Amino acid sequence: MESMNHGLGVDIAFLLLATLAVVTGWRVFRTDSMVRASFFLLVSFIAVGVIMILLAAEYLGVAMFFMMAVEMTVMALFMVMFMMNPAGLNPMNMVHQERIAIGAGVAGFLVLGAMALLATFPDQPVPAGLDPVRSLGNEMLGDSMLIFESAGLVLLTTMIGVVVLSSHRGRYGAAAEGSMPPGLEPGGDPAGKPEEDEAGEGGHHHHHHHH
Amino acid sequence: MFSELFLPVLMVIFMLVVGGYAVAVLDRLVASALGTPQAGGIWLAPMARGAWLLTQHANATEAPDWRAWRLAPALYLALAAGGLAVVPWSASLVATDLVTSVVLWGSVEALATVVIFLHGWSANSLLALIGGYRYVALGLSYILISMFVLIGVALPAESLQFTQVVASQEGLWNVIRQPLGLPLFLIVGLGMTFWGPLNLADSTDLAGGTASEISGPPRLVWDMARATMLVAFSGVAATAFLGGWLGPWLPGPLWMSLKMLAVLSVLLLLGRLLPRLAPERCVTLMWVVLLPLSFIDLVWAGIGALL
Repeated sequence: MESMNHGLGVDIAFLLLATLAVVTGWRVFRTDSMVRASFFLLVSFIAVGVIMILLAAEYLGVAMFFMMAVEMTVMALFMVMFMMNPAGLNPMNMVHQERIAIGAGVAGFLVLGAMALLATFPDQPVPAGLDPVRSLGNEMLGDSMLIFESAGLVLLTTMIGVVVLSSHRGRYGAAAEGSMPPGLEPGGDPAGKPEEDEAGEGGHHHHHHHH
Repeated sequence: MFSELFLPVLMVIFMLVVGGYAVAVLDRLVASALGTPQAGGIWLAPMARGAWLLTQHANATEAPDWRAWRLAPALYLALAAGGLAVVPWSASLVATDLVTSVVLWGSVEALATVVIFLHGWSANSLLALIGGYRYVALGLSYILISMFVLIGVALPAESLQFTQVVASQEGLWNVIRQPLGLPLFLIVGLGMTFWGPLNLADSTDLAGGTASEISGPPRLVWDMARATMLVAFSGVAATAFLGGWLGPWLPGPLWMSLKMLAVLSVLLLLGRLLPRLAPERCVTLMWVVLLPLSFIDLVWAGIGALL
């Protein structure tokens, strides 16, 4: 075996963080709220990030913190918005299609466990003078620049697109004023609008009376 | 073992206590200088208030998320401690001299968004919830501005380490080299501690926002966390723009303390002088004016680093 160049503290920290990552990852599926699930997942990712720092990946580990913090916040809010569960405090079941999920989980665990036990991992100790931040920068802006720059441009375009789509000042006027579908013939009634009782439409010049 | 593990922890705890007290005293000094009379002695009033809060009942709402509600103030305090841990007091006196300390501070800002949202959400109360959502909407723009400004100071240092950022200001401080940087960063600081004009998460129009339902010890921790986050922020600002420990005659840590006090005083003065912004206007200001200004700051820094 290689001579250990880290102390007992690192081993203890690894075990505690790994336990935290697994337990909070499990809680994601056992809790009953979107917001709690998202932030349990965040804690799990943060534990993994600290493990990455222990593995001398100092940039990637710290980057995990801020990336996941923003990501999980946005995810939590979007889930609450789309699931019509106001504020996410209402209890709800976080699992569905349980039999398929259990099968996939067991299969995934067996495959990953077998890989961890049976694969022979490369034994390449990190050279003493390695600067992980600099080497990562050289990698991203060197040979792999085209991939990273294209991915970055696609993401930026998506972000601008989302902002434009969700902005309340759109091509058809301010969203706050309400939107009206166009009529089927020029100047006609808005298409697909259900007929309303008289009480509901005070200001309209056009009334239907059904007796 | 002692000097590696316990000394940095003691240093950060010392800074949390002294810094939190300093903010409370300075804010009262600023207020009385501006003509707002302060009840009690300026030096003793913060401690009296702390002791009073400690003996009060902790309020309970109907069916809150207890764990998140009680943890959120402590987590915000922990984030402030994390920020203070990477602030260097001299070339060697720094609790954690992480090579990616600038990125770690960015993570503190991002995780603060999570914690503030959680604080508002978990109370199961309307005004607290609105405060939490408000902070998320605004916090994203604070994080972006802060990120571009901090990349600007990392460029001349060619490093993501705060000690290197200070070393790169040996000839010229960043406050002069990148004139847009510090003003933009100060706005970020008021934003992420929701202080003064940018206090939109805990504002009076929401009857206290995310903190509207807390009292007693949790309120004490929350108030302390906000004050110490302001201290951590002024430490980062002094490091990134005011040359950190650099300065003639006096020893490094003393220079650093003076610069931090200066940044704190400016922030507290701004907090007392400026009126609170409307949240919608604040979002427009951030995205339409300040974010483009931070781009200009970054391009300025990039050209400066190339020349």
